[in-house]
Amino acid sequence: KCSHCRLFVFLSMWALDLEWISNIRVNTQAVLKRAQHIQGQKICRNQWQAAWLLKGVTCIDLTTLAGDDTPSNVHRLCLKAIQPVRYDLLKKMDMHNKGVTTAAVCVYPSRVADAVMLLKNSNLPVASVATGFPAGQTPLETRLQEVRRAVADGATEIDIVINRTLALTGQWKAMFDEIRQFREACGDAHMKTILAVGELGTFTNVYKASMVAMMAGSDFIKTSTGKEAVNATYPVAIVMARAIRNYFLRTGHKVGFKPAGGIRTAQECLVWLALIKEELGNDWLSPHLFRLGASSLLADIERQIYHYVTGQYAAYNELPIA
Amino acid sequence: MAGSTTKTVYDIFQSMEQGPAPASSTATAQAWLDHHSRALGLFIDGKFVCPADRQRRSLVDCKGGNVCTTVCAVEDDISQCASSAVNGFKAWSSQTCYQRAQVLLKLVSILGLHNKCVSELCELCEASCSPSTLVRLLQYYSSWAQLRDTLITNWKPLGVVAVVVSDDCSLYSLFLKVLPALAMGNSVIVVPGQYTAPPVLLLAQLFTGAGLPAGALNVLTGGDVSLGANVAQNPSISYVTYSGNKQVCDAVMLCKATAGMGIPISVSPCIGATCPFIIFDSADIDSAVDGAIEAAFRKKKEAHWVLCVQENVLDSVVSRLRLRMERMKCVGLRSDEDRVLVDAAVHEAQQQGATLIQSCSAPPSGAQYPPTVVCGTAPASPCVVSPAPGPLLPVLTFRSYTEAVTLGNHSPHGQAASIWTEDLTLAQETAKNLSVGSVWVNSHSVWDPCLPVAGHKDSGTCTDGGQEGMYQFLRPSSSLSPPLPRSSPLPMDYTKFGTGASPVIIPDDSVSAPKSYLQFVGGKTCKSVSGCSIPVQPPEGDGVLAYCPDGGRKDIRNAVEAAIKVQPGWMKKSPSARAQSLYSVAKGLEAKRRDVAASVHIQTGLSVVEAEKEVELSITRLSDWAAYCDKIQGGSLPMPQSGCALSVPEALGVIGVVLPDNNPLLSMVTLLGAAVATGNAVVMVPSQKYPLPALSFIQVLQASDLPAGLVNVISGSRDQLTVALANHSVIKAIWYWGSAEGCQYLQYTCTSPLKTLCLFCQKDKEGKDWTQSHPSLLENLWRNAVQWKSVWIPTA
Repeated sequence: KCSHCRLFVFLSMWALDLEWISNIRVNTQAVLKRAQHIQGQKICRNQWQAAWLLKGVTCIDLTTLAGDDTPSNVHRLCLKAIQPVRYDLLKKMDMHNKGVTTAAVCVYPSRVADAVMLLKNSNLPVASVATGFPAGQTPLETRLQEVRRAVADGATEIDIVINRTLALTGQWKAMFDEIRQFREACGDAHMKTILAVGELGTFTNVYKASMVAMMAGSDFIKTSTGKEAVNATYPVAIVMARAIRNYFLRTGHKVGFKPAGGIRTAQECLVWLALIKEELGNDWLSPHLFRLGASSLLADIERQIYHYVTGQYAAYNELPIA
Repeated sequence: MAGSTTKTVYDIFQSMEQGPAPASSTATAQAWLDHHSRALGLFIDGKFVCPADRQRRSLVDCKGGNVCTTVCAVEDDISQCASSAVNGFKAWSSQTCYQRAQVLLKLVSILGLHNKCVSELCELCEASCSPSTLVRLLQYYSSWAQLRDTLITNWKPLGVVAVVVSDDCSLYSLFLKVLPALAMGNSVIVVPGQYTAPPVLLLAQLFTGAGLPAGALNVLTGGDVSLGANVAQNPSISYVTYSGNKQVCDAVMLCKATAGMGIPISVSPCIGATCPFIIFDSADIDSAVDGAIEAAFRKKKEAHWVLCVQENVLDSVVSRLRLRMERMKCVGLRSDEDRVLVDAAVHEAQQQGATLIQSCSAPPSGAQYPPTVVCGTAPASPCVVSPAPGPLLPVLTFRSYTEAVTLGNHSPHGQAASIWTEDLTLAQETAKNLSVGSVWVNSHSVWDPCLPVAGHKDSGTCTDGGQEGMYQFLRPSSSLSPPLPRSSPLPMDYTKFGTGASPVIIPDDSVSAPKSYLQFVGGKTCKSVSGCSIPVQPPEGDGVLAYCPDGGRKDIRNAVEAAIKVQPGWMKKSPSARAQSLYSVAKGLEAKRRDVAASVHIQTGLSVVEAEKEVELSITRLSDWAAYCDKIQGGSLPMPQSGCALSVPEALGVIGVVLPDNNPLLSMVTLLGAAVATGNAVVMVPSQKYPLPALSFIQVLQASDLPAGLVNVISGSRDQLTVALANHSVIKAIWYWGSAEGCQYLQYTCTSPLKTLCLFCQKDKEGKDWTQSHPSLLENLWRNAVQWKSVWIPTA
């Protein structure tokens, strides 16, 4: 599925259009109002809710990004990714043979090898953060090296972070060039570009950074590292989704979207899916174009599904831990 | 668990469709309706009254189910209601401001308790109004009730106010009239529309529970707006105000039916106006497109939006519209007849070369239609000029800012506009130049009671909301009697009014021919177009004192033409420049005081000393108005959201004034000053009985530095000139002192386009005392000379 982007890269079709960037305008209050409107919509119920939540599960990049990650908790995470919802629950909904797994497992570069080994027999991709995650404040050379290393270890999806210094000082050309180099270092691997929206200051900067990231060949644009003070919020998602839509209108190319950080409840998951459906349409409601970066979200979704199937609220110890 | 539907989880997982909206319960409201046996009565004197043998009107919900029936009130009910309202007014107006405020606040807590019942009933009756909106209204007006005597000094309530609305008027617009009327101490008779009737009855009941005296709020339901006209006929009613659409069967009918009853009436046609939605190239296009879709394709929309897009961003707007509309469903129409209208409008637009963007093709029949953008229309095409009642959004393009303003203003309506740009200067300039009552920058359809809503042009004759909206329910406490005595309409032939022939002048054998005066048009003195004159009689009666020009329709036409040319420039002048010009008029009068005093003396028969005193007072009055120029101002408003909300007083345009007989000089300069200080131009008709002071004042006007054409004086037959003023659409307001027939004629005639009328029926030897200079009297005058504009610039 990455063939078209390789082709584009090969033909050096990715180009920076600075005039386009400079014309971008975002009205903050209008975006906030739109986000309020989407949040205020009624949440679906019953089998609709169950189906939407399962769709949410298939879009999760099940993530562990902690200093104390060891092979054992990465192991547990991988098993959970393969069987994210208890088999008997899926069976009751006749979903047990529909390939419900999370979209990927996301770890630090040093854990990539562990995860790849554990997921050898499944189709699940391993994603790795790279490029001096989360701050990106390391020399370009080591950041590139990190990407190459993760790819060599078997990661097929790389989450890179942009250089906020360049974005905040409006050096879009320099930022574009950096991301282009990451793109090349990724090779065949999918590249998700983390904008760290919490540190970009304004929605206009978020929109511009999204545009530059897409022009430079990102397969996904991602809100945040999960380590900033402000993470994935609905208003910022609307801005990024509009950038994606705008890019699609101009180039016919669909770029994916990945909110990450602070998404914890099944309720939020439903709002995210509704937002994507509303802003980008059904095409984007698949792991191919939409991911949710989360670690504790899955547990809450599983509890909701448990409630849908059994009519009871589960204690956490009734469901397998990640 | 899975419910009765057959969709499996896997089906939905693949299609990712949205589930059916969970049906909301209406049990509480149903129980309330059942308690009233689904046959609601009238609400009179603090309780439900269910008179027997009345016709009933049934309310049917969108699925065809019967909600309830309401009484069609008849004459007996009206008189019972009116006498209750008179008692209610006595009880309510004698309470203290604090007590009135407490009643409004008490209702807030009662609403908290019966939240569910109110919101369910609103939903059931399709008169959506969230309880939080009602709470906001109540809290806002309770604070005004509390501070009425502190902040609005020297004004008093009118008495019994009738609030009449059309069937399609929203509950919000209705309460935007009812609550300020109550807060100012009036009692109110509400004549709600079909859908608003049950919620209003429920709220009236709750109001009584909050301690509102019996009779202070009565509700009369009926078949249509004609009930409002019948209510107006009752002599206890002091004021009628209408909100709703401006169709011939509603607003216009009400105006015509109440003509001659001697009751002031104001209308806010808040429904069905054509409003521009302007997107500049400097806009956040995505947000603007979302806003346009939200505004244009809602089910119960109050305005017909016309999308005006700057040419260089048309493509990006249209491509986004196309993408965003892809998944939208059909919007329900009110009836199959509406569907026929929509089909015809779309067909006609296509014939004229318009292209459509539709989310799906229209179903072959039925009361629904897909959201449709009509691209490539012209400002003259029918779907812009007379829009069909459906989810249609015509798109026009403009090249520059000036063209955007021209497009936006080129409509008889002046309700509202939405403008989208990130350029602050551009936004402010556009807001200033659009002749509409509400301007929403980077937003649309924002309503809050602190924002004054005043339709300009054909969109209204009164201001609702804000402090400005209180004055329609008040009158200066120093004014003794209401301006119009209550009467029953005179039998008159409107086509014959003002067509009587002027007396002919034949040569006689008097020794010295009396002096001939000239009138004043476009800064020049001149004879009337017809060349004829009429004699002016001396105060004691017989004989001829002088001749004045016999002006007519063409003189008025010339004067209005001259006035509209200079008025925009005059309005744009700085307030201090206007003040200097008015001071120069006062100075000029001082220089000519002897001449003018002499004319007052010979015309009215006042002693020379008294005449000089009137000139003296006139000089002071002109200086008062000069000083007022930079004191009449708007301000920023306390919106509950963050942003910048402004209310700005703007000149009406050209005002026609038919001057009173009393104090002919002083009354003229008082009215002239009020109009000109606020930026208007005037066409004045001097009192037919005492024209000479006004005509001799022309020499002062000529010597002043007021722009030529700003003030025009045309003498002649009062009735004939009144007809000419009434039938000139450029004239925005008429201030009239004259006969009862004249008042009735104006009320009957000035409905299309609407003119703001201030009518005074003058009888011999009584009427307004012009020598008083009480501040509230002057305030009343300048408030009648301005229209308010609110500008809302939200920020994050």
